[in-house]
Amino acid sequence: MKNLITKMSTQAFVIMVTIILFIIMYAAGCVVYADKNFTNIQVFFNLFISNAGLIIISASMTMVMISGGIDISVGSQVALVCMMMCDLVMNKHVPTAAAIAICIVYGIVYGIYAGVMVAYLNIQPFIVGLSGMFFARGMTAVINTGMLSIADKTFDVLAKTKIMIPIDFLAKVNKRGMKIYPNLYPSVIIAFLVLVIMFVMLKYTKFGRAIYAIGGNEQSALLMGLNVKKTKFLVYLLDGAIVALGSVVYCMNTCGGFVAQAQGLEMDAIAAAVIGGTSLMGGVGNVFGTLLGVMTKATIEALVSFQGSLSSWWAKIIIATLLAFFIILQSIITRIKAKARD
Amino acid sequence: MKSMKKMLALLMALVLTFALVGCGGSSDDAAAPADNGATEEKTEEAPADDASADDATADDTAEAGDSEGGLIKVGYAQIGAESDWRLANTESFKQQFTEENGYELIFNDGQQKQENQIKAIRDFIAQDVDYIVLAPVVETGWDTVLQEAKDAGIPVILSDRGVDVADDSLYTTQVCGDFVLEGNNAGDWLAQELKDKGRDKEEINVCVIEGTTGASAATGRKEGFAAKADENGWKILDSQDGDFTQEGGQEVMESFLKNYDDIDVVVCANDNEAFGAIAAIEAAGKTTGPEGDIWIISFDAVKQGFQYMVDGKLNCDVECNPLYGPKIDEIIKKLENGEELEKLSHPEEGVFDYKTAADLIDSRPY
Amino acid sequence: MNKETSTLKRMVGHQLFMPIISLIIVMLITVVYKSLFGKDGVHLDLTFFQIQITNGHLYGYLIDILNHAGGLVILAIGMTLTVASSAGTDISVGAVSALCAAVCVRVLGRENVVADYSTGVYILAFIAAMLVGALCGVFNGYLVAYLDIQPMVATLILFTAGRGMAQLLVNGYIIYVRKESYKWLGSFFPHIPLPSALIVAMVVAVVMYLVLNKTALGLYIQAVGINKKASHVVGLNSKMIILLTYVFCGWCASINGLIKSSEIASVDANNIGLMMELDAILSVAIGGNSLGGGKFNLFGSIIGAVTIQALSTVLLSMSVESTQVPVFKALLVAAIVVFQSPEIQRWRRNRKARAAAAGKKVA
Repeated sequence: MKNLITKMSTQAFVIMVTIILFIIMYAAGCVVYADKNFTNIQVFFNLFISNAGLIIISASMTMVMISGGIDISVGSQVALVCMMMCDLVMNKHVPTAAAIAICIVYGIVYGIYAGVMVAYLNIQPFIVGLSGMFFARGMTAVINTGMLSIADKTFDVLAKTKIMIPIDFLAKVNKRGMKIYPNLYPSVIIAFLVLVIMFVMLKYTKFGRAIYAIGGNEQSALLMGLNVKKTKFLVYLLDGAIVALGSVVYCMNTCGGFVAQAQGLEMDAIAAAVIGGTSLMGGVGNVFGTLLGVMTKATIEALVSFQGSLSSWWAKIIIATLLAFFIILQSIITRIKAKARD
Repeated sequence: MKSMKKMLALLMALVLTFALVGCGGSSDDAAAPADNGATEEKTEEAPADDASADDATADDTAEAGDSEGGLIKVGYAQIGAESDWRLANTESFKQQFTEENGYELIFNDGQQKQENQIKAIRDFIAQDVDYIVLAPVVETGWDTVLQEAKDAGIPVILSDRGVDVADDSLYTTQVCGDFVLEGNNAGDWLAQELKDKGRDKEEINVCVIEGTTGASAATGRKEGFAAKADENGWKILDSQDGDFTQEGGQEVMESFLKNYDDIDVVVCANDNEAFGAIAAIEAAGKTTGPEGDIWIISFDAVKQGFQYMVDGKLNCDVECNPLYGPKIDEIIKKLENGEELEKLSHPEEGVFDYKTAADLIDSRPY
Repeated sequence: MNKETSTLKRMVGHQLFMPIISLIIVMLITVVYKSLFGKDGVHLDLTFFQIQITNGHLYGYLIDILNHAGGLVILAIGMTLTVASSAGTDISVGAVSALCAAVCVRVLGRENVVADYSTGVYILAFIAAMLVGALCGVFNGYLVAYLDIQPMVATLILFTAGRGMAQLLVNGYIIYVRKESYKWLGSFFPHIPLPSALIVAMVVAVVMYLVLNKTALGLYIQAVGINKKASHVVGLNSKMIILLTYVFCGWCASINGLIKSSEIASVDANNIGLMMELDAILSVAIGGNSLGGGKFNLFGSIIGAVTIQALSTVLLSMSVESTQVPVFKALLVAAIVVFQSPEIQRWRRNRKARAAAAGKKVA
């Protein structure tokens, strides 16, 4: 075991554990809830459909965490962007495409604010995120203290077009004799596109590698000649834009906006990233690991939900335990490796 | 040696968590969760353990299903457990939709988050339930998932609150309190009471503590009462959101008391807010109730509310009957028989005040 | 170079300057608003500062603020120490508050409405709650100090699980306590004019001030926060010190839970302490303490906590929707943090130096 650990990188080992855990849980669900159709491929797809927005946002959070920072404002940003979309499209009659563009511009503006604060004014990212969180949550209420929803043709096409997967053996015939093919939504496709782009960016571009370097050891990065300030600034700027995009995708799932929306989403994103192998100390992380983290969390929720009588608070407790497990695991591995080095 | 210590730490942490959790829970499946957790720990080992532990519970329900073969599967997406009313509502369901009555109930607590409820509905669809009962935490944003239910041919029954969807056919029927009527009833009671006490020619100042912004209960009650206030010429001094909680009611009331010193009546959107408001008023040295300085009108009529009326602190409580179990049972039976249904129905609701509270308090089921 | 720093410059540079100014500004805002938009036309309206005695205890806006701020002040004190010793933002305090309140009420009785209990049981319930709080602190502290885990991630565990555990303890119900004496901690003790939360907060603050400044503990915590390794080399038991700060923070959370539960004479596991961890961290930041650890000023955090509560109360009285209040909190904290950021300080010093140099040349 120890040899395996020292040979593999921490990253790889943790992701391996995550994958194994996910497979075990999902398999257990399939076995135990076979009579409740857990084996239906739609259940697997639902993991993505319901969490498309979270996937994008967690990926962006991963990027920020790799650089050594954190952005706890994302939940509130989601609420604000959803409310903005609803307000712009329905009340101000702005065409959907323009509304999305406006939201992303807002994301960029916020990203600039966060970037300047963290990179140039050297303010703790946590506090910057906190101020952003309060600001966004409050502004959501300023736009409208009630609830809004979107019912616009263009938006509906984006949000509600079901992409059927017409593979017969995957289809199910339900009690009413209806044949239901598994389906996906465009939001999932967008999420995967973003994931791939981010993966490529982080692994294969100079910018991506600079992020890892800065997260790993800022002083060394500076000495190496990397423009730390500019890189950090760009990280937060990108984060703002991607979170805005993720919020729009989230909006496609809910088609509505209200003040308390997505409360606590930032913690979900952080938990997903940590379960996926990202370290809050920076320098370590992988967006596909984060994807696995989101899927794991979703699987746990599905398992509790399919049980049918357990309080849903159990899902939170199990996720917390898993979180504890991964955190401690990472710590142990780091220790083993440090010892192996000496 | 050190890494052994860390492994121990890991196990300790998990055991600690489960010990804490274990001593608390007394839900039906206390055994199963502990097993679940233990297996989470030993990830590399025995998937068999996992399956066998879960099998124990799954078998129970599976057996019941198999032997009856005709159990109606109902998936219930509840809002959460944020107030006494909500808890009574949940209890009513759990008591009504039992196996003896021919149902298999899959219950989901949304923890007051819409995204949780959307996930729950998707899970219900995947489980191929016969009916979905939804208590939507907010009005908007259900189009996509209700469409999925419709495509799967599963009828959706709305409980307590309504949805704001473009296409009405996305849900079959709705059972909820007639919130506007509740607001009206509150206004009518006040008008009658003022007349009885000979105060109907006075200028009456009212403060309103609203419910969570965006909840149809809050909006309905506010509108209903405001309409009567208009009719009777009462002045609404201020109206703020108390979030349906006791703390919210208390903070808002404290603020009102500082800004206005001639409040006659306070209308609270639910009992929990009223408890907070009464506490704030008493702390300010004033009294409430029929003999007091400020009259309090509330909604929900939970048992605690009755207690306050018996104690002479609350004037009037407009009932919002949470016992939807039987009503929805009726609806499902009708749907099974293929009968026609109205789109909207209301449970019986009454108006109670301090005069009758003492007699009725023992018969209050919730 | 001009070595004299005028009293004014020293005041402005002091850490407590910003928090005190913020508090004053918040109070001024309400005075101005009431004076201009009050009922009786434009006049100087100082009713905000009015304090009267009603029913044997003090009553007034200021009293309200101090009363509601009691719990937050205690949380802020606990948070200050964890931040100082380990740059650790303990985000679990809200959930731990709820958990401890649930423990307390469960010890008092097993029913959904607890009607009566003996004083002995009451004391036992309190001790149990405080113990659970401290235990949570041990859990957090162990993870941070001995396993070297990032504080935010370590406390994320209890943040996620804490409320769930509380919910399981109360079986999902809101438990009411009908005994009058239970309410005392959240409002007023009989015959004592000051709000109890305020008294408890003051006691904790004074005791901690003495402990931190009259013993070497304060110095140790700062040393550990500034450089953990160096402190260890010098002979301090850094790990134990960090652990202790988390235990204390957990204990503070339990006190907060008890106060909040007493305020509403019930336990609402969903809502007690909700979001309070953020306000506590905000208080520490407004107080001028660096979130990166090291030197700290307890009074800064206390003033920060009072300022935040004042802001909420003031805005509510101006009929700002409670959901919109966070915008102002954000602006306040952003302004203060920017002003106190090392970069801005450096820029200001450079400006002064350049101005002094230019002045010298001309003169």
